[in-house]
Amino acid sequence: MILLKDFLEKIDGKVLTTEVDISQTEIKDGYVSDLLSDVMGNAEEGQVWITIMRHLNVVAVASLANLSAVVFAKSYQPEDAVIKKANQEGICLISTPLPTFQVAGILYEMLKK
Amino acid sequence: MSPSSVMQTAKNKGLDLIAITDHNSMANCGVYAKAARDYKLDFWYGVEVQTAEEIHVLALFDDPEPALEFDKELYNSLLPIENDPEFFGDQVVIDSKANIVRFEKRALINSSIWTFDEAIKKIQSVGGFAFPAHVDAQTYSVIAQLGFIPTNISLPAVGISAKAKPQMVRQNFPQLKNYNLIQNSDAHYLKDIGSGYTDFYLEKPTVAELKMACKNEKGRKIKNKN
Repeated sequence: MILLKDFLEKIDGKVLTTEVDISQTEIKDGYVSDLLSDVMGNAEEGQVWITIMRHLNVVAVASLANLSAVVFAKSYQPEDAVIKKANQEGICLISTPLPTFQVAGILYEMLKK
Repeated sequence: MSPSSVMQTAKNKGLDLIAITDHNSMANCGVYAKAARDYKLDFWYGVEVQTAEEIHVLALFDDPEPALEFDKELYNSLLPIENDPEFFGDQVVIDSKANIVRFEKRALINSSIWTFDEAIKKIQSVGGFAFPAHVDAQTYSVIAQLGFIPTNISLPAVGISAKAKPQMVRQNFPQLKNYNLIQNSDAHYLKDIGSGYTDFYLEKPTVAELKMACKNEKGRKIKNKN
C-alpha cells in the first residue's frame, strides 16, 4: 500500500479535481485499460486506473468500482463537465505527461517495495 | 457493389427505404441516391462515424445538402493518416456504372477526433438522425467501449446487429428498456442486403417523421422484426 500523493510526485501528476481531498488516499494496486466495459467487469477497489479514455462515463465506472483515482496519461484532459462530475462524486482525476506504460511501470515499482 | 445491383437486390428483398452508410464517408451516397430514384426506392444519405472512443455512430439524412456539409466536417475531423491500400484495400469513389472516379487517400478506417457525445450532438444539430450502431456487438459498440449508454445526451434509438433477435437483445441488455431499437443489415455484400430491417410507420420518408415514430406520435411507430 502506498499513498496517492507520493505516487503523484513520481509521475509529475496534476490533480484536476481540486475539491477532492486526497491527503490520506491509499493505493492498493493498479489497472490499465481504455475499454470501460472491461474496467467495470475487472477493476477492483483501491486500484488506480490508468487510461486515455476521457468520457463522462469514466467517472461513473470509477465510482462504481471504488477506485482510488483515475490517471489520464499523455497529458490527456477530460472536458470540464467530467471534472465537475468527478468533484461531485469524490473521484480524484489526475493528468500526467507520461505515457501509460511508464505510469504503470512507476506504480509497479513503488508497490513492489 | 454497383448502385444498380444494390437497388435491384433491395427491391427484390421488399425494402422500401435504404441508406448507404460507409465508414466515415458519404462520398458515394450521391450515385446511390440517383440509382435509388431509378428503382423507385426511398433513400437516405448516411454515414457510419467512428468516434474518438472507437464507437460506431450512424447518421441519417433525408436532405443531401446538410448531409454533404456534415460529410465535409467529418472528413476534416478524421486523423490525417494515409490509407495503406495493400493492407486495407482501395477506398474508391465510383460513378453510377461502378467505374472508379477517384481514390480516397485519407484512411477512412481511422477515428474522428469527435467524442461520442460530440458526434451525436453534431449530427443532431445539422438535422440528422443519430444513433449508436450495433450496441449488442462486442466491438465498436457504445456499451463495449463506454460500459453503458450515456444518459447526458438525448438518444431516441439505438441500433442492433442484423443477426440479433430484438427480444433477446432486450433480455440481455435491460438498460435498453427506454430505447427504440433500429435493426439494419450493415450489409457489406449483396447477399446481406435485407438481412436486418425495421418497420417504420411514417407519413413520408423523412428524418422528422422517424423522430416522431421514436416517440410514438400521431400513429407513427417503429416495429422490430420478431
